[in-house]
Amino acid sequence: MNGVSFSETTEKGKRILLDPRTKLFLLLTITTLMFSTSNEGIMNIVKPCLSLVPFVLILSERRFRAAGKYLLLYAVCFVLERIALTVLSGLLSFLVLAVTSIMTRFAPGIMTGAWLISSTSVSEFIGAAERMHVTEKIVIPMSVIFRFFPTISEEYQAIQDAMKMRGIRFGGKNPLLMMEYRLVPLMVSVVKIGDELSAAALTRGLGAPVRRTNVCQIGFRFQDVFATIFCILCFILFLFQKQIIF
Amino acid sequence: MRNKLQAKDLINLGLFTVLYFVIGCCVAIPIGFVPIFLPILGALWSLITGIPFMLFLTRVKKFGMVTIMGILSGLLMGLTGMGFWGVPMGAVFGLLGDLLLKSGGYKSAKRSLIGYAVFSLWMVGTYIPMYFMVEDSWASFAASFGEEYADKVMAVMPMWSIILVIVGIFVFAILGGLLGKALLKKHFSKAGIV
Amino acid sequence: MIRIDHVTFSYGEENESAGGVQDINLNIEDGQFIVLCGESGCGKTTITRLINGLIPHYYEGKMNGEVWVNGAKISEQPLYDTAKTVGSVFQNPRSQFFNVDTTSEITFGCENLGQPKQGIRERLEKTVRNFRLEKLMGRNIFHLSGGEKQKIACAGVSIMEPDVLVMDEPSSNLDASSILDLRATLAFWKSQGKTIIVSEHRLYYLRGLADCFIYITAGQVEKDYSAAEFEQLTERQRADMGLRTFILEDLLPPETSPQTGKQMELHNFCFAYKNEPETLHISKDKIPANRIVGIIGNNGAGKSTFSRCFCGLEKRCGEVIWNGRTYRPKDRLNTCYMVMQEVNHQLFTETVLDEVRISMEDENQEWAEEILSSLDLGDIKDRHPMSLSGGQKQRVAIASAIASKRSILFFDEPTSGLDYKHMKEVANVLRQVRNTGITVYVITHDLELILECCTDIVHFENGSILDQFQMDASGLEKIWSFFLRGCL
Repeated sequence: MNGVSFSETTEKGKRILLDPRTKLFLLLTITTLMFSTSNEGIMNIVKPCLSLVPFVLILSERRFRAAGKYLLLYAVCFVLERIALTVLSGLLSFLVLAVTSIMTRFAPGIMTGAWLISSTSVSEFIGAAERMHVTEKIVIPMSVIFRFFPTISEEYQAIQDAMKMRGIRFGGKNPLLMMEYRLVPLMVSVVKIGDELSAAALTRGLGAPVRRTNVCQIGFRFQDVFATIFCILCFILFLFQKQIIF
Repeated sequence: MRNKLQAKDLINLGLFTVLYFVIGCCVAIPIGFVPIFLPILGALWSLITGIPFMLFLTRVKKFGMVTIMGILSGLLMGLTGMGFWGVPMGAVFGLLGDLLLKSGGYKSAKRSLIGYAVFSLWMVGTYIPMYFMVEDSWASFAASFGEEYADKVMAVMPMWSIILVIVGIFVFAILGGLLGKALLKKHFSKAGIV
Repeated sequence: MIRIDHVTFSYGEENESAGGVQDINLNIEDGQFIVLCGESGCGKTTITRLINGLIPHYYEGKMNGEVWVNGAKISEQPLYDTAKTVGSVFQNPRSQFFNVDTTSEITFGCENLGQPKQGIRERLEKTVRNFRLEKLMGRNIFHLSGGEKQKIACAGVSIMEPDVLVMDEPSSNLDASSILDLRATLAFWKSQGKTIIVSEHRLYYLRGLADCFIYITAGQVEKDYSAAEFEQLTERQRADMGLRTFILEDLLPPETSPQTGKQMELHNFCFAYKNEPETLHISKDKIPANRIVGIIGNNGAGKSTFSRCFCGLEKRCGEVIWNGRTYRPKDRLNTCYMVMQEVNHQLFTETVLDEVRISMEDENQEWAEEILSSLDLGDIKDRHPMSLSGGQKQRVAIASAIASKRSILFFDEPTSGLDYKHMKEVANVLRQVRNTGITVYVITHDLELILECCTDIVHFENGSILDQFQMDASGLEKIWSFFLRGCL
């Protein structure tokens, strides 16, 4: 879980402020195109450009160290991949290629996903989903999911502490027991919290057959248009790469 | 009781999806960093998530819950940057799982095992980009080393190996379901949760 | 106006009386402030659920009779309609919020009902002003204290402007100063003319607010006291009814004689959580040992950080010198044990006996059974730990600590949400544990528990030990002034 959780606030978000829908479109573009097969011609330019997107996004949040780390990792893998393809040979080439090709393709998507999650508050996300007319059957469980990520990590931490106090020998021999001792109390307490949460939410009108309102302010602005055009452009280049000749 | 999904069911749905996803990730994240293990990742995932899923099934009495869980799991995978193939796959295999469970009246033990195994096949969706990638590296390989060599390398992860992945997920899901059932009996029913 | 007309309810299929109610008849006029009191499991929570509609719409069981709120039949009205007239606040602040940030949590109810945006914003502003929440807006609820969470919960209900407010043991997990905040909230609602129904064990903070106390035993209304009548009862009478203290000043001082005993030395107990300022700074101090020591202080004073460090849960924090030996964090992990507030987290196996057995270095069946029977767990040794009551779970955790030969036990709020009888039970268990030679530290906000069994007090403030004293006449003065500060 790596401590990834949704951003806490709606108010203090004076950062890049893309609409959550734009963020989703960016993520969709990056994951789809980075995983795509073609690796020649124009795509040799599009892919590195797309890989730079999460770098810019993280930078815009002033998380310089994280942005730097990502850029370094990506650059190293990118160079190694080229080396593996041209200089190395045999098994070594295969191994390096296996690692680096996975990294270069997955890292941009994962980083964009992490950025999306850390820069969007749950209510913005839900607001966006409601604007896109996503059914309540998806929206309500989705908000429960985001609310429970931190709960699970709190509960798991407490269980870890309890196990630590019980001593290392405790269940240490048997991996199946180790798993059982962690999972069972975790599931018991999460389910219990969930039952109490349901009761509390129902007494506050959840499930009323009206269209929910959402007070948080989202909407498309200049930067959204820019990001959307960028994504569409990438898709066009991808789809018509055979027709585009240098 | 009406057969429509109500707020209570939707909260349960979210609750168990998050358990399903987090418990799965606990296995997937440490292992996922080693590319060689990627093909067995889905199998291990469905083995361990049998535990929360079987607990989930004790609360599923209405049609549609498993389908939505499939879609939500796919969405979560997508949000973590693994591509959005899981969404349609989750919808399809979730629906199939739901149909199987419904045919057993959401009670039959055998149907719930098979239903879970079928549902677990949505994981194949997360493999789709990887297979694209294999094809992709084949092209690059072929360009720099010649087709013969590239073919040799591809022997390690050929297209037909996806069948092994599917079989692996299915078999391990059955085992995971059994494991989940055993734990239900050992703990949850005694603890009064079920 | 609320009318409960010959209502009988039992949970589940079985005809068990646990928590259910029989033939309840109540008429509550508009603007009244009612307190439901009685022992755990007497059915007072059930009555709150009858009013807010969770029975029969969420908790299933067998129900006869009818409940009317403002002329509407609760059993025939969907929950989202009841939500407009009845607001509910629950016991556990951790489990009643649906959102991650405070602002959306407060507006949640209004959004569910589909009220217009502009209206919600105006109401939000008003609520924030009334509850003085400016500093809490836009925060992550997971980072708030229990008292702050409860305040947000109250605000989230208040914004919906219900006529009736139902609270189920709202003070259970709160510290002394948060309870005073809760009192202020209740006073505010009362001033607005709301009808208020509180089911509660702790009664002292309701003094001067409540109009009427309804005493419930075994699912039936035993007696209906007006505030004046209830005030007339002696503490003895209330204790015999199984009720917690109502007038704190009347509490009897403990019958302990001051002792001079051993002490533990603490060195370098300084600690900061990752990316946070230092929360604990004790460079050198001494605390009493071999006794039952109450650890008091407001939220954020460093009590729980201290106990985590002391038990060795934080790897690099401090040394303890005791009996001429130095205990580093790693050593303390094997000498100390903490009984957590959420005991569920520390029970792992499928039977009570197993729980004790696996804690032993060499499994010894006889000794295990001996420990269990000494803690009154002999009869339930084959039950699943999770199926036990809260108090029993606590004792199982203690049993496992004794089995692993720990010499220091920490208790984190062992009496939160307990009635008089169970609080007494905990006090007895603590004394029993101490008599076997184990040092007991109790982090607590419960004045009654302190007077019942603590011999020493350590008072934390701002991450260090502000004061420590024995529970003699002058110590008693100090403890009064801590708990009664600003109270009533």
